[in-house]
Amino acid sequence: MANVEKDTVTGTDTTGHQWDGIKELNNPLPRWWLYVLYATIVWSVGYWVVYPAWPSLSSYTKGVLGYSSRAEMEKDVAAARKAQESWRAKLAAAPIAEIVKDKDLLVYATAGGKAVFAENCQPCHGAGGAGRPGGYPVLADDDWLWGGAPEEILATVRFGVRSGHKDARASEMPRFGEQLKADEIRVLADHVLSLSGKGAKSDTGVKLFEENCIACHGDDGKGNKDLGTPNLADGIWLLGGTRETIAAQIATPRHGVMPAWEGRLDPVALKMVAAYIHALGGGK
Amino acid sequence: MNEPSAVATSSSLLYAAREEIYPRKVKGTFRRLKWAALIVLLGLYYGAPWLRWDRGAGAPDQALLVDMPGRRAYFFMIEIWPQEVYYLTGLLILAAIGLFLITALAGRVWCGFTCPQTVWTDLFMWVERLIEGDRPARMALDRAPLSPAKALKRTAKHLAWLGLAFATGGAWIMYFADAPTLLREFFVGRASAEVYGFTALFTATTYVLAGFAREQVCIYMCPWPRIQGAMFDEHSLIVTYEDWRGEPRGGAKHGQSFEGRGHCVDCGLCVQVCPTGVDIRQGLQMACIGCALCVDACNSIMPRFGLPKNLIAYDSIANQAARMKGDPPRVRWLRPRTVAYTAILLVVGAAMAAGLVGRTRAEVHVIADRAPLFVRLSDGDLRNGYTVKILNMERADKEFRLEVAGISGATLTIPGFVAEERTAAALPVKADSVGTFRVFVRARPDRLEGRAREIVFAATDESDGRAYRRANVFNGP
Amino acid sequence: MAFSHEKIETNVVLLSILILVTISVGGLVQMVPLATMDQTIEKVQGMRPYSPLELLGRNIYVREGCYLCHSQMVRPFRDEVERYGHYSLAAESLYDHPFQWGSKRTGPDLARVGGKYSNDWHALHMANPRAVVPESIMPAYSFMARRELRADDAAEHLKALRTVGVPYTEDDIANALADLKTQAGAGEGDIRPFTERYPKAPMGDFDGDPKRITELDALIAYLQVLGTLVDFTTFRPELARR
Repeated sequence: MANVEKDTVTGTDTTGHQWDGIKELNNPLPRWWLYVLYATIVWSVGYWVVYPAWPSLSSYTKGVLGYSSRAEMEKDVAAARKAQESWRAKLAAAPIAEIVKDKDLLVYATAGGKAVFAENCQPCHGAGGAGRPGGYPVLADDDWLWGGAPEEILATVRFGVRSGHKDARASEMPRFGEQLKADEIRVLADHVLSLSGKGAKSDTGVKLFEENCIACHGDDGKGNKDLGTPNLADGIWLLGGTRETIAAQIATPRHGVMPAWEGRLDPVALKMVAAYIHALGGGK
Repeated sequence: MNEPSAVATSSSLLYAAREEIYPRKVKGTFRRLKWAALIVLLGLYYGAPWLRWDRGAGAPDQALLVDMPGRRAYFFMIEIWPQEVYYLTGLLILAAIGLFLITALAGRVWCGFTCPQTVWTDLFMWVERLIEGDRPARMALDRAPLSPAKALKRTAKHLAWLGLAFATGGAWIMYFADAPTLLREFFVGRASAEVYGFTALFTATTYVLAGFAREQVCIYMCPWPRIQGAMFDEHSLIVTYEDWRGEPRGGAKHGQSFEGRGHCVDCGLCVQVCPTGVDIRQGLQMACIGCALCVDACNSIMPRFGLPKNLIAYDSIANQAARMKGDPPRVRWLRPRTVAYTAILLVVGAAMAAGLVGRTRAEVHVIADRAPLFVRLSDGDLRNGYTVKILNMERADKEFRLEVAGISGATLTIPGFVAEERTAAALPVKADSVGTFRVFVRARPDRLEGRAREIVFAATDESDGRAYRRANVFNGP
Repeated sequence: MAFSHEKIETNVVLLSILILVTISVGGLVQMVPLATMDQTIEKVQGMRPYSPLELLGRNIYVREGCYLCHSQMVRPFRDEVERYGHYSLAAESLYDHPFQWGSKRTGPDLARVGGKYSNDWHALHMANPRAVVPESIMPAYSFMARRELRADDAAEHLKALRTVGVPYTEDDIANALADLKTQAGAGEGDIRPFTERYPKAPMGDFDGDPKRITELDALIAYLQVLGTLVDFTTFRPELARR
């Protein structure tokens, strides 16, 4: 490139090309700009030293700061926990009945309870306490096997149902399949359904119900939360509300198991999740 | 105009060091205009954070404030929530279109008179001239070896520059916090790390950009000069040299005749006063920021030779062509381009104004529970859960009456506020905040049709009766 | 100036060599990190390949372009961890070909959506997203509940993945179709071999239609397993901090 055209007006070289008759001046780039580029290169070398950067044969350079994004996250979460300390102390001190009445405490309890619930209760009881078929009760409705008052919910969460804990809730329905005949069970199932307006009433049914069921389920079949016997007169069924499923439950009753969370969750977590469950809409 | 006829060996370097520019002092109309613009703009910049506006107890009393932690922006009587950030978009659109309009009309007035880079560089140059003297003195000082006098002048200049830069950085942060409070805290070391950090950042950038970088910003960093080709047309005002009058140029003595030669006496003053160091006689160019100081400079020389002013003129290309021919010049303000820009400005401005005036100071948002979709209650009723958020954007505590419509016989309960089934609930929302409520809506299954049914939440402001509605769904089996 | 780019442009050999070098840099950047796989993939318990039904569901997920709006990567940031659960581990995408990482969150991240919502919710959501999320802009996929799942080539899919390193056994491949039917609730016989082959597999009639195995069944089965496999009680974060 020996001969380069110079623009007469400015005295600057042109690039030597032309595009559709348009020529371009070839001005030198500013030297400071080049030095800024060098500075960024030096900076990047510093970056390699300080932060994780280069892969080696089977590992990678970790950087002198020991930075890791996961460790940063753990720090953030720990700082958040620390900020929650004052509320956790208040929740630990207040009894559950007070927590559900105190607007401010309830905000924190339900927020924390939601997180505990999602981790521990959701797999069985479903998100939001929606329940799952097969005997996982709905926690958002107003039908409670073991009582829906805050203390009662807390006790159920702490000790579980048939969990093996010494204070666990437990009930056992006799196997009526061994005492009653198949057609008697069918009539009884119909009577039970009739309590919520669905099935057929009959005198045999009334008699069978009186003889076998009211001892535990109450005169009107409304259940007994101290015994853990369900309310048969509402429209809510744990294991199915058809004549067949009710008959099956009478014949060979299924009993669900809920773990005891005492010891697995700290006392504040237990209170928070109980408050959350109470606030799901059905708490009494 | 650019017919290349000279060919020479390639001597162009790939990189070249910056050549120092020593703008000379000049007097004239445009210099006075520049000073006026500088004083007004810097006055606004430094002074605006100190303006007060009373918003009541507990609210900030600064007229212009961007409260980042509090998530609010204040402009006198207007308060903007984060949800209303689109007003900022509108402002940016107005600023951009306004800039295009001004450029189409009057050329690079932004660059030459109002751009922060120009204003601060002008200020720094003035300080430099004050301490080190005018152009010849400064050039001599640069050439001179280091001496106590030189060191003293240099130190004084850089200290003055740092002081101005610090004031600039300091003023910036005043827009983001209460100015009087921040000033006190700053100097006793009680301000936050962000405050000191940003002050340091803006001090550094002002010092570097106005003290050292100067025209390099305009020539290499800023995109605006390079868009000028698309922004001008033949009626836009530009700084231009009347080469048909000025050429051929040459030195002149007092009293000589100017027959058969151009009016340009090659004094070089136009080049000496230029802050970006261009020779305007080469024509309109990217590095000319349109400050028109060269116009002032030439106009101080022309009368001495009895020649008419405006050899370098603030004029349009069309007018120059007219003057060349001897036709009367015309100023064409109304052109399709300018009319279009003005129309857009008016439309956007009107839309923003309408939005501001007509905006409601409350909003309702409803989020339906996903799990469970619905709950069957013991008496057979169905229940859906919702989280209702009511935004109260006024500075007074309010009460809202919440009702649901769309499903006959639907009732609601709200934990903490309404314990029994009601058709309406009174919900208090504190001033300038969001009230979050868990709402359970209960309905009889025979009143619903289909799996998902529309339900409308209405929150009525008890103080003025305005209702805010939000539609959602009520789920069933 | 002594050096000119023209020298390279007019010398074919020099140009080729320099092109090779430049491309190699790009290639090395992609290949060398593979040597650190052992450090990158955390040691976890519980991870297993997808079952046939889950795999076909995943293929539908990819086919429909769900990744365009939904990422599957919980990042190690406090807000993400508090919303979605544990940050995603590389080990959890071990058998994803291709992985579904990203941060495009037009819709929420799905890395840990398994078990969060009921099958019913998913079925309703796919049929009409706005029925469960009124402000959703997700398109409806109601056709999936009507389309029969094409499952006769289930074993072929497992074989294909085996060639890229997913550890399906001969047993898995032989029982692919039977396992698929078992998981969808239409199987015959003992379900234990299936649960042994694929622990923690969600089972049942996913789309609410027990008579047919539809594409919706497969998709929901896939969604319900996401993020549920790794046992985080045994995961040791201090070994995998980066």
